[in-house]
Amino acid sequence: MKGLIAVIFASLIISASPAAHHSFAAEYDGEKPVTVSGTVVRIDWSNPHIHFYVEGKDDSGEIKQWKFEGYPPNMLVRQGWRRDETMKPGDVVIVSGWRSRLEPNGAASRLVIFADGRKMQSGPPAGTGGQ
Amino acid sequence: MAIHLIRPAVLVTAGTILLAMAGGPVHAQQSSPAPAATIPHTAKGKPDLSGVWITGALQLLIGEEEAAAYRKADAEAGRPMFRREPPPYTPVAEAKRQEYLARRGIDDPMARCLISGVPRITTRPLPFEIVQLPDRIIILYEAHHAFRIIPTDGRPHPPDIEPSYLGDSVGHWEGDTLVVDVIGFNTNTWLAGVGTIHSEKLHVTERYTRDTFGTVIYDVTIEDPEVFTKPWLQQEIFRLRPNERLREYECIENNEDLIRFEKLLQTEPIYTRPTVR
Repeated sequence: MKGLIAVIFASLIISASPAAHHSFAAEYDGEKPVTVSGTVVRIDWSNPHIHFYVEGKDDSGEIKQWKFEGYPPNMLVRQGWRRDETMKPGDVVIVSGWRSRLEPNGAASRLVIFADGRKMQSGPPAGTGGQ
Repeated sequence: MAIHLIRPAVLVTAGTILLAMAGGPVHAQQSSPAPAATIPHTAKGKPDLSGVWITGALQLLIGEEEAAAYRKADAEAGRPMFRREPPPYTPVAEAKRQEYLARRGIDDPMARCLISGVPRITTRPLPFEIVQLPDRIIILYEAHHAFRIIPTDGRPHPPDIEPSYLGDSVGHWEGDTLVVDVIGFNTNTWLAGVGTIHSEKLHVTERYTRDTFGTVIYDVTIEDPEVFTKPWLQQEIFRLRPNERLREYECIENNEDLIRFEKLLQTEPIYTRPTVR
């Protein structure tokens, strides 16, 4: 698991770019990555960003409910996501991203790894909203 | 002022295209482009730009693997790497941009779902469709449900322009390049990223050149005597997406950014100091 998380962090760093969520840096701290292992509780498939909730553990080991933000639906669909199919409540996942500056258990998601090994990008890299 | 980056001619052979296509990406929704090596032309003999295109941060739209395949194809086809010049702002304008950057982009009009201007709307990681008609060209942007109608029948800009997000566009052909002149902007947009401000004197000249079946070279000259010391030049490559269609992107539906911004603006010291505006 530690190796997997290291790989996730490495991919986060490599993929960081100036083009990202609008005002990403205003809301999220690109210096504070977070990885949560847990179970999907709820998915709000809405514009301009989806949100999904995961009950699980971060590095502290404490079980909390996390709220993750992600791409808008049309971008997810283009990358292979399907509403109600790709991610469902009850799915066991590992989600990585960056912590919110405002919400202690909030984060911008970047990558979701499902129990069957699927890796799906769920949100943009960290950045300043350069484009 | 006709200024644009000088670009070495890209010699594209059928073999190059086949090579590029052979190494092209496989995507869940997107099959390889149709094997047409020739650039389509209209009855008037001009290149037909019609189609669904993408540009900008491709990895956000189609994933890193497929975006990397495009870059690989570019290298194999000998496409030049475009220069990314910083905005040539006056000291005053640059100081404002730096302050917007220090405020981490919280002032970005786009994050409040305001329509992006030109050229930023083109480089959003969302597709757009060009519809080329005999007397005008229509560009439909998935971002913001926005559209531009660009007359190409020789008419000038109208006399009653009201400043707007996308300005007023008129186009003409210079050889096989569509040249679009855009004026009449409001100041509610950023040009190409955090703090890239402009005045109502903004004048954008876009050049669309379909250099291969699957690509358009997009040269942009951005002029504004209020903020720039010289024209700001940008270039992008449009990628044709034959099997793509525009979808709906409704920005304001559940834009939680607005609520968070209000909290941050009230609580975070970095945001609570006087703004640059």
